[in-house]
Amino acid sequence: MNNAPKLIPAFDTLPDPDEIARIAGWLADAGLESLELSNDAGIRLLIRVPQAAQAEEGQDRLPAPAQLAEATDTVAATAPYFGHLCLTHPLRDVPFAPVGAQVSRNDVVALLTLESLQLPVRAPVSGEVVDVMAQPGALLGYGAKILEIRPDHQD
Amino acid sequence: MSKPVRFERVLIANRGEIALRIQRACRKLGLETVAVHSEADAESRHVREADVALCIGPPAAARSYLDPDGLLLAAKLTGATAIHPGYGFLSENADFADAVEAAGLTFIGPTGASIRMMGDKITAKRAMRDAGVPCVPGSDGPLPADMEEVHALAREVGFPVIVKASGGGGGRGMRVVQTPDELTQAVTLTAKEAQQAFGNPTLYLERFMQKPRHVEIQVLCDTHGTALWLGARDCSLQRRHQKVLEEAPAPGIEPDTIARIGERCAEACRRIGYRGAGTFEFLYEDGVFAFIEMNTRVQVEHPITEETTGIDIVAEQLRIAQGEALHIRQQDIRQNGHAIECRLNAEDAATFFPSPGTITRWDLPGGPGIRVDTHVVSGYTVQPYYDSLIGKIISHGATRAEAIARLRVALAEMRVEGVSTNIPLHQDLLADPQFQQGGVDIHYLERWLAERTES
Repeated sequence: MNNAPKLIPAFDTLPDPDEIARIAGWLADAGLESLELSNDAGIRLLIRVPQAAQAEEGQDRLPAPAQLAEATDTVAATAPYFGHLCLTHPLRDVPFAPVGAQVSRNDVVALLTLESLQLPVRAPVSGEVVDVMAQPGALLGYGAKILEIRPDHQD
Repeated sequence: MSKPVRFERVLIANRGEIALRIQRACRKLGLETVAVHSEADAESRHVREADVALCIGPPAAARSYLDPDGLLLAAKLTGATAIHPGYGFLSENADFADAVEAAGLTFIGPTGASIRMMGDKITAKRAMRDAGVPCVPGSDGPLPADMEEVHALAREVGFPVIVKASGGGGGRGMRVVQTPDELTQAVTLTAKEAQQAFGNPTLYLERFMQKPRHVEIQVLCDTHGTALWLGARDCSLQRRHQKVLEEAPAPGIEPDTIARIGERCAEACRRIGYRGAGTFEFLYEDGVFAFIEMNTRVQVEHPITEETTGIDIVAEQLRIAQGEALHIRQQDIRQNGHAIECRLNAEDAATFFPSPGTITRWDLPGGPGIRVDTHVVSGYTVQPYYDSLIGKIISHGATRAEAIARLRVALAEMRVEGVSTNIPLHQDLLADPQFQQGGVDIHYLERWLAERTES
C-alpha cells in the first residue's frame, strides 16, 4: 500500500466510532481478522472482523452458525481443544445442558478437563439441545462433536 | 544422567511416512503407540493403526505438531511416557527435549544439551574440531566486529568464502563471497537477515568449496558408552538444499577412508556423551572431508543405511531410549551391496509446484530389493498444509548398477493418479549417464535442471 502511513491514525487518543468503523471496513476488505493498536500510555484498541476470516478458512474454525443451520438444521457444540469431557459442573448435580435444555449463544455447555485445567465448551448458537453425543469422562479430540443444538431462529 | 525409566506406550509427535515408520518399530518391539494428529490427518494410516489416537488441533502445524504444551498434555492424558519426535517439527528443538524430560517422560533422542550444542553451528564446529573431526577452514568462531579483522581472516582462509549465520541451517542465512570487495556488504546483509530470521546476528565464515559432494555418516549411540558408525550416505542430488535422491555407500570413496572418518564421528559422540541416532554431514571434495553440521535425529534417508547394514535404526532408537545397551559391535557391521532412495513428492515434475489433492490410484512396485515407506493409500488426500513428501521408494542390490536397475523397474511399475508426482524426474535422473557414473557434486542437479529448461 502506497498510502499506508496516512491510513493508520495517530493513536494518542481513542479513535471515534466513525473512524473505528472505517478501519473495520478496511480490515474486512483486506481479508484480515483483527487489528490491535496500543500506545505508551497503555491504551489498547482491538478491532475484530469475524466475517472475513470465517468465510475463507472453513476447517480451521467453527462455520458461521447461520450457514450450518441451513445445511443441517442443528448446530454442534464442538471441543475447542482436547481433553476429558465433563457435562456437569464439578460443584453441581445437574448437567450444564441436558437434552431439552434451552441454551443461549456462548453459554457454557460442558467442560474439558486437562490435568488440573478446565476449559469451557460454549454454545455456538442459541437454541434447544436435541442430542448429547459424547460420553462424560471420554477423551475427546479437538473438534469432536459434543452436543447438537436446534437454533431458535431459522429463516 | 538419570537412569531411563522403561516405557510401554510411545507418543509419536509427527505425521506422514515417518509417523508410520516409528509406529512399525514400536509394534515390532511390543510397544503401544499414541498417534496425535491435526484435523487434516484424521484419516491417516498411522492414526487408524494406533492404540490411541487423539486429534490435538487444527491443520496449522503451530497449533498441532509444533505445539510443545499440547503434545505434553496429550502424553499425560493418553498415558504415553515416551515421545518420539521423528524428523522436522520439534525433533531438533532443545527446549522441547528438556520439557519432555522435565515432565518425567522419555525423549527418544539426544539430551537437550546435545541438541543445543549442535544447533549452534559455531559451538558444533568447535566440538567437532576438538574431537578430531575434520572441518572446513574458517573463522573457528564468531566473526569479529572489526571489519578489518574480518577481511584479514577471509584472506587467510582464502576466497571464495561463505558467510553463515550461527543460528541458521538448511540453506538459510548464508552468502557466498567471491572477492574481497564484496565482503563488507555481504557480512552486513547476512547479519541483518540472521537477526530477523533466527534472532541471532552472530556469523561465521568458511572457505567456500566449489564442487563438493554431500557425504554423511550415520551414528548410533547408547547410554553405556558405545558409539557406532553405520556407514556413509551420498546425498549430493539436491534442489534448493532439499535432498532429492540418496544412496549408500558413497560411490567412489574407499571404504578405508569412510572407516577413518566414521571412527572420528563415533569418537566425537563418546566425547560429548551423545545418545541415540544422529548424522554427521560433510562436504567432500578432492579427498577432503569438511564437517558442516550434525543432525540430532533420525533422517528421511535412514532406510538406505538400514538396507546396507541390516540394522533397524528406528527400533534401535527405541531400545536405546529404554536404557538398553547396543548389542551390535562395530566389527560386525558390514556394508552389504548398494541402496538408493528416491523421495516421492506430490509436485509438478517440471515446475516443482506442490500438487495437493486426492490420490485416486496408488499402485506400488515390488519384487526383490524394493522397499516402499509411505503413509499413502488409494483415496488419500495430500494436504496443502505440510511438506509434499508422499513416500520413499528404496532399492537394494548387490551392486550399484543392480540397485539402479531395480529402482528404474520399480518407478516404471508405479502408478499414481489424482496428483502430479516427481516420478518422471527420478526416472530421468536414473537414466542420466553422469549420475550412472556416480559421484556428482551438490550443484549437479540444479545445473542439470537449468540446462533441461533451456533445451
